[in-house]
Amino acid sequence: MSDYIERFNTSERVLHWIVTASFFSLVLSGLGLYSRLFHGYFGLFGGGQNAILIHKISGVIFFFSSIYMFLNHKKEISTFDQDDKLWVDKSGGYLSRDASHFNIGKYNPGQKLFALCIAAATAVLGVTGLIVWMPLDFPRWIVQVSLMLHSLMFVGSIMFVVVHVYLATIGNPGTIEAMLYGDVRKIWAKKHHPKWYKEVTSDNQ
Amino acid sequence: MADTINQAARKGFLVDTARCIGCRSCQVACKQWNKLDADKTANKGTFENPRDLTPALYNRIKFIEKETSGEVSWLFFNERCMHCGDAGCMKVCPSPGALYRTNDGIVAYNKEKCISCKYCVSACPFNIPRYGADDKVSKCHLCLDRVVGGMSPACAKACPTETLKYGSRAELIAKATAAKKTLYGVDDLQGLGVVYALEGPPEQYGLPASPHIPLSVFLWKDVIKPLGILGFWGSIGAMLLHYVTIGPKKVDDDLDVKEDHHE
Repeated sequence: MSDYIERFNTSERVLHWIVTASFFSLVLSGLGLYSRLFHGYFGLFGGGQNAILIHKISGVIFFFSSIYMFLNHKKEISTFDQDDKLWVDKSGGYLSRDASHFNIGKYNPGQKLFALCIAAATAVLGVTGLIVWMPLDFPRWIVQVSLMLHSLMFVGSIMFVVVHVYLATIGNPGTIEAMLYGDVRKIWAKKHHPKWYKEVTSDNQ
Repeated sequence: MADTINQAARKGFLVDTARCIGCRSCQVACKQWNKLDADKTANKGTFENPRDLTPALYNRIKFIEKETSGEVSWLFFNERCMHCGDAGCMKVCPSPGALYRTNDGIVAYNKEKCISCKYCVSACPFNIPRYGADDKVSKCHLCLDRVVGGMSPACAKACPTETLKYGSRAELIAKATAAKKTLYGVDDLQGLGVVYALEGPPEQYGLPASPHIPLSVFLWKDVIKPLGILGFWGSIGAMLLHYVTIGPKKVDDDLDVKEDHHE
């Protein structure tokens, strides 16, 4: 019997990496627009005008792929049960070295919250981005507020991504495999998502 | 890149609105010197023409109709870039050198360095910058190519009534103050490069009583930007701290699970 079970199928993984690639393309092309401190990043694209073009293209890809990802997982991430509450009460066991066990389904409340926040940020960044894209077609105060919100949502997103990358890699060894080959070790699934593990294994039998 | 300004060396305009006769020589002279095309305009029942600044119109005379006891009179106002001492456009411009300050304190621009983001349009306290078919910033640059050669700007040169006076900003202000004029823009935004002697409250001319860079620009550049940089490195620091204090959740050294696994 295999030691592994599938956590994300191929299309889920490809979609995730499209979102990732467009996100980092947006960060690199947008940094110079965020502040002159990062003007050097324009050099990666051969100047500011090209960076803006890449930012627009990446923005469209990111917006639709991120929203699509949210819609795919809308049902799974909008649940909250008694086991989730226990997880929240103990901060998911992340603030203590003691071994912790939570009866968590496919996603824990932190992951659900992350998904909701990124979806909300995508919506705000998308709408404000479109306004900033064609600023002469909107009243000045709307463009002003959009520029401010766009930078605020960027800051929020990049901080969320730092936490996301940590928790998915060195913070929880064995997790990244789910997004690389799609399979995770059963021992990992039993520890982190026991309720999901039971569901999946009973389905297969 | 702090935009510091040498107040003593500043050149600028003093616009004495009481002297203006609305002849629009300044508009025409500007177009002529800067080789700007005429804009097609429409008659809207006023002598004011055109009704707004355009990419090919760097300054214009606003005709403000005022009715006092049944009689209509005009206020004339020369609308243009104010060359703010603390310029909102320069604060947001992401392309160094696209909008820059000359030694005279003039806010000039280089279209070749403009990257067409149009942030300056949103950040200007006076709604001055325009973008034309070339998708590059355009506005009054105080005839930079004339003043470096010791000439006065085309509009001031053409003004027949000395409404537009160009020179040392401090001297112009001193003279107007001595003449007991009501001045606008002496201290606002670290002093406007274009100071007005007005005949009424600023609002009457469509000017903000106390002009300022939009709050959203302040929040973006002075609050969100520094806190964002702090937040980014702070979150990386917090993750590293978590790793070395509490540590990762390893599945392998969780004995219960391991025994379970080997069943």
